[in-house]
Amino acid sequence: MGQIELQNVMKSFGSVDVIKDISLDIKDGEFVVFVGPSGCGKSTLLRMISGLETMSSGTVGIAGRDVTDAQPSDRQIAMVFQSYALFPHISVRDNVAFGLKIAGLPKDEIDAKVAKASEILGLEKLLDRKPRELSGGQQQRVAIGRAIVREPAVFLFDEPLSNLDAALRVQMRIELIKLHASLDATMIYVTHDQVEAMTMADRIVVLRDGRVEQFDTPVELYDRPDNVFVSGFIGSPKMNFVPAKPGANGSVVVADKVAKNIPGASEDKMASSMTLGIRPEHITYSHDGGDWEGTVTVEEQLGSDAFLYVDVPELGQITVRAVGERSFNRGDTIFLSFDPERCHLFDADEQRVN
Amino acid sequence: MPKTNLIGAYIAAILVMLIFTLPIIWMFMGAFKTPVDIYSIPPIWWPDFSYLENFKTLLAENWSFLLNSVIITLGATVLCMIFALPCAFGLVNFQFKGNNFLADWILSTRMMPPIAAAVPLFMIFNGMGMLDTHFALIIVYAGFNLPFAVWVAMSFFRNLPKEIIEAARIEGCTWFQTFWQVALPLTKSGIATVSTFVFIFAWNELLLALFLTSNEAKTFPVVISTFSTITRTYWEFVSAATVIQVLPPIIFTLIMQRHIVSGLTMGAVKNG
Repeated sequence: MGQIELQNVMKSFGSVDVIKDISLDIKDGEFVVFVGPSGCGKSTLLRMISGLETMSSGTVGIAGRDVTDAQPSDRQIAMVFQSYALFPHISVRDNVAFGLKIAGLPKDEIDAKVAKASEILGLEKLLDRKPRELSGGQQQRVAIGRAIVREPAVFLFDEPLSNLDAALRVQMRIELIKLHASLDATMIYVTHDQVEAMTMADRIVVLRDGRVEQFDTPVELYDRPDNVFVSGFIGSPKMNFVPAKPGANGSVVVADKVAKNIPGASEDKMASSMTLGIRPEHITYSHDGGDWEGTVTVEEQLGSDAFLYVDVPELGQITVRAVGERSFNRGDTIFLSFDPERCHLFDADEQRVN
Repeated sequence: MPKTNLIGAYIAAILVMLIFTLPIIWMFMGAFKTPVDIYSIPPIWWPDFSYLENFKTLLAENWSFLLNSVIITLGATVLCMIFALPCAFGLVNFQFKGNNFLADWILSTRMMPPIAAAVPLFMIFNGMGMLDTHFALIIVYAGFNLPFAVWVAMSFFRNLPKEIIEAARIEGCTWFQTFWQVALPLTKSGIATVSTFVFIFAWNELLLALFLTSNEAKTFPVVISTFSTITRTYWEFVSAATVIQVLPPIIFTLIMQRHIVSGLTMGAVKNG
């Protein structure tokens, strides 16, 4: 059982509040990703769960036990660091077996567990090497091996893939997803990469300035972001934001020009100044006509998709994702329309309205 | 660099090297000369190296003092390390109120000249009946070197990647296990460096040994000083004794040099 309960957790360094009253309930076996921009407190929050960082107030429970004052070694956790943090003076075998030896397990049991972990991670041929003789990806595997061999209740990953090159990162990402499925253990994973967050997580915690902005499934975060920050942070290219006002009969007037009825946006929730968000793939485009006329300023052609950066005089720059599109080039005139069904409306406090 | 400049640089380097090495070479030669040869004019530049009477006489009469030096020096080095390493590890890894002040205060004790402590130490050890004992000098030498040893060891522990210490703690190590199984093996080079310095200091120390010993625990540097008397200086014995005196630090340094290698923590953490 590896459920985690954080209750009113706070952390201050002097007068600076780094973590501001966070409460989370992470279920047993769940893969939760902490994501957010640099300095949002995601690593600090992870370190507080691990016990490496003390808390200013609040409680942490792991596997049904209050571990607020427990040492890291007493929390049934394993952690994989961004820098791998392998012990350079001992072999891969001893690195993987380190925690088991400290725990005083019998040698044959240690050997069996190390062999099993090595098999899962493909480390068999590397066991007698020193960490410095391994590539980055292999070192990361050893670090993961050291974590899984102890069969902890909770795995903590602190940006474990950020030092790997792009191709290896994708490969390791898939391996971690498989590992989670096979171990069925609770995992908390810190990253600033929203692609990692979206592809790996059962649920994502989006953090900003030490606060939880939203804690939800990847699809829900994408489809129904709670606020402007989450809308902009999740999704690449990021969501387009344009100014909006209440119009007649519950409609919303975008940039003082086009009125639309946004489903779920009732009049009583609307404010005098609002923001309308629309994802690049939810904008329809045409050569002939639409609500907005603009000029293509940049065309990023990826083959499968094209990202068109369109300068619309009333709206500013709008990003359009065009699937399989070949017919637009830089300087072309383009007509855009927003699908009201797919629009997100936010009030003056940047909170979701519809 | 132009050739003439290079030749000039070589000449300058050789001159500076000679200034430092000539007294040592002269001392080394003197160890193999008879008293008559030492004072002969013109000087005997190349002595008979098979003449070992100076060493034989010296060691026959003073081997026990040489042994004292070995015991006291090794004892002081070990004792100093036993206290300095955990102290440095704690000061680096434990965050508590006043830890920086404590580290500064430890260093400040180094600023006291040894002579200022000589008389109080004499009184204390006299009162405790420990004058002229090995243990008294071991304590004093270890104590005098502690500030330096703590500070140098701190710099080595500080250079250890923080994640390695944290990984050890996550893996279930107590603080002592973290220190013993992870931090110490990774700072071998630092320990070798510090212990070499402490060894050399303790081995060469004269002032406090003169104050605190008379016969039983007398160290070899004190013996050397006795060859210079009111009536004459026994240069042949001074030279022979000095050759013996410089050998252990050289051997110790050579042994430790194997460990004084950088890059021991290479591969520990991925940078960049």
